[in-house]
Amino acid sequence: MHDRLLEIRGLKFSRYFFCIALLLVLSGCEKQRQWQLHNIKGHLPDLRFSMMSDSGQAVTDQTYRGYLVMLFFGFTTCQAECPATMFRLAKISQRLGESANRTRILFVTLDPGRDTSEVLHHYLAAFGLDRAIGLTGSEDEIEDLVKRYRAAYRPGVVNSAGIAHSAAVYVFDPQGRARLLVTPDEAIETVANDLRHLLELSR
Amino acid sequence: MSALQWLIPWETSETVVIVTSITAIIFIRGCQKSKLFFRQKLFFWTGLLSLYAVSHTQAEYYAEHEFFVHQLQSLVLHHLGPFLIVLARPKEALSAGLPVAGKRFFRLVSTWKPLHCLVDALLHPAAVVIVFAGLIVFWLLPSVHFIAMLDWRIYRLMNWSMVLNGLMLWGIALDSHSKWSPGCRIAMMLAVVPPQILAGALIFFTPHELYPIYSLCGRAFTGVSAITDQQTGGLILWMNAAMMSVIGILVVVHKELRK
Repeated sequence: MHDRLLEIRGLKFSRYFFCIALLLVLSGCEKQRQWQLHNIKGHLPDLRFSMMSDSGQAVTDQTYRGYLVMLFFGFTTCQAECPATMFRLAKISQRLGESANRTRILFVTLDPGRDTSEVLHHYLAAFGLDRAIGLTGSEDEIEDLVKRYRAAYRPGVVNSAGIAHSAAVYVFDPQGRARLLVTPDEAIETVANDLRHLLELSR
Repeated sequence: MSALQWLIPWETSETVVIVTSITAIIFIRGCQKSKLFFRQKLFFWTGLLSLYAVSHTQAEYYAEHEFFVHQLQSLVLHHLGPFLIVLARPKEALSAGLPVAGKRFFRLVSTWKPLHCLVDALLHPAAVVIVFAGLIVFWLLPSVHFIAMLDWRIYRLMNWSMVLNGLMLWGIALDSHSKWSPGCRIAMMLAVVPPQILAGALIFFTPHELYPIYSLCGRAFTGVSAITDQQTGGLILWMNAAMMSVIGILVVVHKELRK
């Protein structure tokens, strides 16, 4: 009886040992390639929202499952950062070539009063971003999403310097997990390389 | 925003609510049983409420999105809040307010030898000073700060570690009945000054952005530039270090003179 117990224990131990060894090997694999962008894997929650798209349809995170998602918060009357970022995203998409078909850009407005679906649609069309979707919703829906990703937003607060907003583009893998953070001063090629690699990983 | 809206927590944390209310209830019960001076109650409530105010109201939004406000929040969590609570000498009231089961639990735990050794080691002045200075530097390392401001779990760990460590340092340094001599306690408070001044000065004099996370996630005050924000934050750390220790030393000297 005692021997049998020991045997079971030994078996359990070896199973634990195997799991740990497997984890170490897997984490070793992951480390082989260093990301050029900020790696935020495991630090931010998965993509989740339920809003209105610029074509007037109700969409959720599930609508974009299977696509690499680039999430950006802004507003159409923004003078500097938002147009610059949209321009960069357009260039990144170009650089991605064929792979860009597997990506989607989500532009979430922080000024839902002014940025209706129609306004958003025209705004994105001006940048020639056919893979970009403008998202709008109630102040609460927007606040929930912004808070989820720790971005700055105060509903209804507009001062002389404009609306406070984040400069980062949040990158989610096709499974909806937060993976990378794109800063405004990263080279287009660097971003494209990392995005391509992320797409390859989740093929 | 109206005054009441300011009290709505930016991010709800059950732990903060539970710990704050349990401490408050125990203290109120204790006040009924043991006689406390008015100023003791004033210090205790100001300390406890200031800790709550910076970690569970709309103020937290600004602390998460502006470096210098984050430094102000740390000042309250690590220095001011614990300092005021300790200054109230609430030990007697808190133990009087503890329910019987709680008292029994503490008595049982205090007889447990390994825990006794661990607490003794953790509360040794040298250990407390090293951890105090170490925590400030650690959480301000650019790579650590980046993740701490992004991941809510690490963010909360950071805030809790500061409060607990603050209670330890000021708890030992300001305790006139402690086994450590007044000279030793003054030395403790002096020892934590240079690392903080150094860290504050380094942040102040760095010409480039050390903490890009605030720009990436967005600054709360659009009119304040990244460098101004960083320099103000550095200054707060630089100044408050010396300030709080000087106040602490004055308190110890005052108590010793009155003995």
